[in-house]
Amino acid sequence: MMTAAMKPKRQLVRVIDLNKCIGCQTCTVACKNLWTKGKGEDYMYWMNVETKPGAGYPKNWESMGGGYKDGKVQDGKLPTQAEYGIPWEFDIKRRVMDGNPMRVFPSPLPTWGPNWDEDQGKGEYPNNYYFYLPRMCNNCENPACAAACPTDAIYRRPEDGIVMVDLEKCDGSQQCVKACPYKKVYFNFPAYKASKCISCYPRIEKGEAPACVAQCVGRAMFVGWKDDANGVVSKLVNQWKVALPLHPEFGTEPNVFYIPPFSPPVEDAMGVAGKPRIPDGELEKLFGPGVKAALATLKAEREKRSKGQPSELMNLLIAYKEKDLYALKGM
Amino acid sequence: MSEKTITENPVTRRTFVQAGAAVTAATTIAARSLSAEPLLQATGAAAPVDHSKTEEAYRKQWTWDKKGRMTHMLNCTGACPHWVYVKDGVVMREEQSRDLPGFTGIPEYNPRGCNKGACGTDYMYAEHRIKYPLIRVGERGEGRWRRASWDEVLDLIGNKILDTIQKDGPDAISVYSPVPAVSPVSFAAGHRFAGLIGGHTYTFFDWYCDHPMGMTQTMGIQGDLAETADWYNAKTILIWGANPMTTRIPDAHTLTEARYNGTSVAVITPEYCSSAVHADEWHHPKPGTDAALANAMAHVIIRDKLYDTGFMKEQTDLPFLVRTDTGRFLRQVDLQKDGSDELFYCWDTKTKMPVQMRGSWGEKPKVKPPVEPGFFGRNTLTFEPGTIALGDLDPALEGTFTVKLANGKSVTVRPVFSLLKEALAKDFTPAKASGITGIPVAAIETLAKRFGTAKPAMIIHGAGTNHWYHADVIVRAMLLLCALTGAIGKKGAGWNHYVGQWKPTPLLGLAPIAFPKPKHKFMNSALWVYLHGEVYDSMERIGFDANKYVRESIEKGWMPVFPKHGKSPKVFICYRANFLTQSKGQEYTLRNLWPKLDLIVTADFRMSTQALWSDVVLPAAFWAEKLDLNMTEEHTYIQVNEATVPPSFESKTDWQIFRELSERVAQLAVKRGFTKFHDNISEIDRDLSLLAEEFTAKGRFATEEAVAQAILDGAPPTKGITVQQLREQGPQRFKANWTSPMVPDEPYVPFRFYTDQKKPWPTMTGRMQFYIDHPWFMELGQALPLHQPPLEADKYPLVYNTLHARFGMHSMWKDSKLMLRLERGGPLAWMNPKDAGTRGLVDNDWVDVFNDHGKVTCRVKIAESVQPGQVNLPFGPERYLDLREGNSQSPLPIRIKPTHIAGGYGHLVFKPNYYGPSGHNRDVRVEVRRYMGARSL
Repeated sequence: MMTAAMKPKRQLVRVIDLNKCIGCQTCTVACKNLWTKGKGEDYMYWMNVETKPGAGYPKNWESMGGGYKDGKVQDGKLPTQAEYGIPWEFDIKRRVMDGNPMRVFPSPLPTWGPNWDEDQGKGEYPNNYYFYLPRMCNNCENPACAAACPTDAIYRRPEDGIVMVDLEKCDGSQQCVKACPYKKVYFNFPAYKASKCISCYPRIEKGEAPACVAQCVGRAMFVGWKDDANGVVSKLVNQWKVALPLHPEFGTEPNVFYIPPFSPPVEDAMGVAGKPRIPDGELEKLFGPGVKAALATLKAEREKRSKGQPSELMNLLIAYKEKDLYALKGM
Repeated sequence: MSEKTITENPVTRRTFVQAGAAVTAATTIAARSLSAEPLLQATGAAAPVDHSKTEEAYRKQWTWDKKGRMTHMLNCTGACPHWVYVKDGVVMREEQSRDLPGFTGIPEYNPRGCNKGACGTDYMYAEHRIKYPLIRVGERGEGRWRRASWDEVLDLIGNKILDTIQKDGPDAISVYSPVPAVSPVSFAAGHRFAGLIGGHTYTFFDWYCDHPMGMTQTMGIQGDLAETADWYNAKTILIWGANPMTTRIPDAHTLTEARYNGTSVAVITPEYCSSAVHADEWHHPKPGTDAALANAMAHVIIRDKLYDTGFMKEQTDLPFLVRTDTGRFLRQVDLQKDGSDELFYCWDTKTKMPVQMRGSWGEKPKVKPPVEPGFFGRNTLTFEPGTIALGDLDPALEGTFTVKLANGKSVTVRPVFSLLKEALAKDFTPAKASGITGIPVAAIETLAKRFGTAKPAMIIHGAGTNHWYHADVIVRAMLLLCALTGAIGKKGAGWNHYVGQWKPTPLLGLAPIAFPKPKHKFMNSALWVYLHGEVYDSMERIGFDANKYVRESIEKGWMPVFPKHGKSPKVFICYRANFLTQSKGQEYTLRNLWPKLDLIVTADFRMSTQALWSDVVLPAAFWAEKLDLNMTEEHTYIQVNEATVPPSFESKTDWQIFRELSERVAQLAVKRGFTKFHDNISEIDRDLSLLAEEFTAKGRFATEEAVAQAILDGAPPTKGITVQQLREQGPQRFKANWTSPMVPDEPYVPFRFYTDQKKPWPTMTGRMQFYIDHPWFMELGQALPLHQPPLEADKYPLVYNTLHARFGMHSMWKDSKLMLRLERGGPLAWMNPKDAGTRGLVDNDWVDVFNDHGKVTCRVKIAESVQPGQVNLPFGPERYLDLREGNSQSPLPIRIKPTHIAGGYGHLVFKPNYYGPSGHNRDVRVEVRRYMGARSL
């Protein structure tokens, strides 16, 4: 079990701006191509982007349990392979090199996948809505995966608070997969080991941003130290209070925070614009009660800029230089 | 090359990964063998636990021996600088180099890339990588091959080329390769070869339906636009018929950042797309009605006097006089015997006289321009600055005036603006436009007023409107909005068309290498397929005979056609392209055009649809295996792409392939005693025995690097930049550009040679021209840019929309496992639940999407984001992949629009990618039904 002694010296924190995320999946691919292309890793997306509202990946992960209740770690559901989606293979060679006349179909039959319900969302045209939610390991303050591990294989790195699976100590119980309410611990069946986002610590150690952040072409992800009061992530989370944890009710205290999204107004038959089309309640379900205040702050600061007035918050979110997206000095 | 050198690279990335670097597998073994070590016994003890074995393994995974510069040199506007990382000779992955310089006060371009660019190198070791030359042994498209040597295929191709020259003439041979900007050295290779033997090459910008024909018609320019950093300078942005958040992924961030900077963004698209998700407002016209919206906005801007009179009078033909009796411009020839019919007039309100306007087609500059670049109707840049400045002149925009003609008669004349204002007020009030577009009146009024007042205001334009039959009118109508409000040539403003990868900025360096002989034979690709593919356009259903116009255009020599004299094409060489998958009228292409071809050769690094339906397939080097340059219109930096690793397997670079083919043709020609012939189309004598030395310019162009350097040296935008500098210092900014000067630390904004320096626009009138009095335009009611309804030539209920995909760049990556897994494993027809419901369809069902031209059978995805009445099928999936029948292009015919093939009128003249018919990817109607059969082929 995790103990207070395991509290890291410093903690890495991320902020993901949902007004800048365009759902392009570059982070997904960047992560996949760097870390999870080996045997048993095909179905794993340490980093994924899903359409909300939607069932996500694995399918209906939000109702699979895990996390904490009354301070106790909960035994969640172990997702089935079908709920992740069995990765399709495509035998292109058979058709184009070996002359087999059958067209190339994905195998097995596609029924679910990491981005199956992309751009579907909720509501009725023309007042339907959706937005993108990138998801990775939250490197929680109170990681349920670690608490559930019977062999104490999961630890927080003292130097940066990154939650890691020690592959030598992992004995494949999969309790971590069940306990993580975000379903961000995977299981490598051939290796019989848990497998999860390592927050690119080899890159962090060299002062380089994690692949998902460094390669995010929407420039939507920020990373920095929790104790760096002048750093961009602290300012967004603590000073401006516009960055909120995903499902705070899960009780794990995530270290990934989200800027909630704006949305175009709903319209009536006369084209009269009304409230934002994503109902507040839909966002509060994800990010808790702080949503309204965060959106109000964002709106007010943006309005300043449209009147030509300065706004520190908008400058932070714009991030003129790519380097403004991360502050990793002092490692 | 001898058989001995044919060795298959035993190392693929996958086997490499599995062999040693996969952390989990490796450490699992380590963990099990170490299970008794004291390390583990320390668990739970107070001493810090040693996790170094696990941590070291991951650290090792992020290591490399070598890195090199690479971009993704396909038909993509990204031009995103990357590093490729190499370990033990195997390219492991790529990542953005993040070294594009930026501008003060504007968010920088880094890190430029996308989902596809993050896994481009997967192609290198894919199972359908073409490793060695292949000769077909089955039917075309069957996929049965025999491995051949380079020696054998060069002989085969060389002999067929010589046979064809002797029997059918050189213009029965053609070479297709598009988009010079992404890899100009490769592009030059095949075009140079074709140019030397007398074969013809093709256009692509129009064929892909990306060329904004309305821009040529209005501005006399193939296209030009602001680089995307300039979006940040806008106060108002209308994203119109575009979805940059999905199709311009590297540039999208500037939009979200501009919003944070206070810019308002409105998206105008039928579907609730990813760009609409990030907009302040979303408007959803009925498909194909965008010109009506633009016309109504123009009406409001005129009605409320939100226009910029000074700009209109100086920069446009809106004050030019039109005769009310003929509907044609008042010309010098009308007023003076032996006068020019290319000089025009305005009514000067001070002198109350018609005054001849300077800079029109009939006026020549004192200094003749040294070159006439193909992207201009004419080169007006040697005119004196201030040529079109008005000085004391104050042209009338409205009124009716009487002028006395040379023949003694009097006629009344009116400025174009008067005619336009009247026409808009009659047919395009917001109420009427609302009826056409479905957009509420209030929204039209608001959009128009904002565009006219919250300046700078910009339109970002896309394929969603440009791929329609009447796209020329749509574009002209949008340009009119910008002309009325003076939004051209200004920061953060203008009409910016981000469709197609069309701008090789240092064209003047490239052209002499790619087109080495005079009278290079260019042919419009849409016309080539339309004619030789015998495409049925079904326009007779609406009583329209396009062929009447096509015949006249060809007879008058307005549009060149190859091969000449009613002959059929014989040899088709395609490289850097997937011609067949993109072909509009695809079923006609396969049925009628393909059988005419005696030999189809395709060079590629992967087995594309085009390669599969070829006779000979040549293994081409991958991007990381060849040196080339790369650039885009989306930013203003040129970069080098290095040969970080040598060509894998038996592949060769494009330059090498055509160099060796030149050598072989020369040898074979000498051997058969046929070397010299007169090319009566290009009107030159050719000597094939000189082909090899002509190709390399006597050794000067022996290597890719020498060619790249010559391109850089030959054009003002890049003169002084060296390949070595690009290698060492990264991307370098252009020093000059097409229609504006480059300003340090400012994003490029086009057209300032005209708006600021006041040189004539390269059009008939020397102005942005909104009235085109060519007889065909008059006859078709399109002299003014007024909305034309979508076609009803297909009697089917649903609008068929073939849009760009998030997980593919045209056909590229449609065969990528990683990308396919991020959608549903194959092509999808997207439909609204209403339309799906009435057809009894359930999400993920197999469906037939069909009309009279063809059928595609794929799966359906049901989403509210699609407008009812429309079916969206992202175009370009490989014909062999997860489709039961056809391809996205199967239901598409080719429809030639007369206003694309006119001539004999100033700037309306055929030049490759400047003026010529497009294929029209949209404006087609289909029906969708549940797939019932088991037709698996």
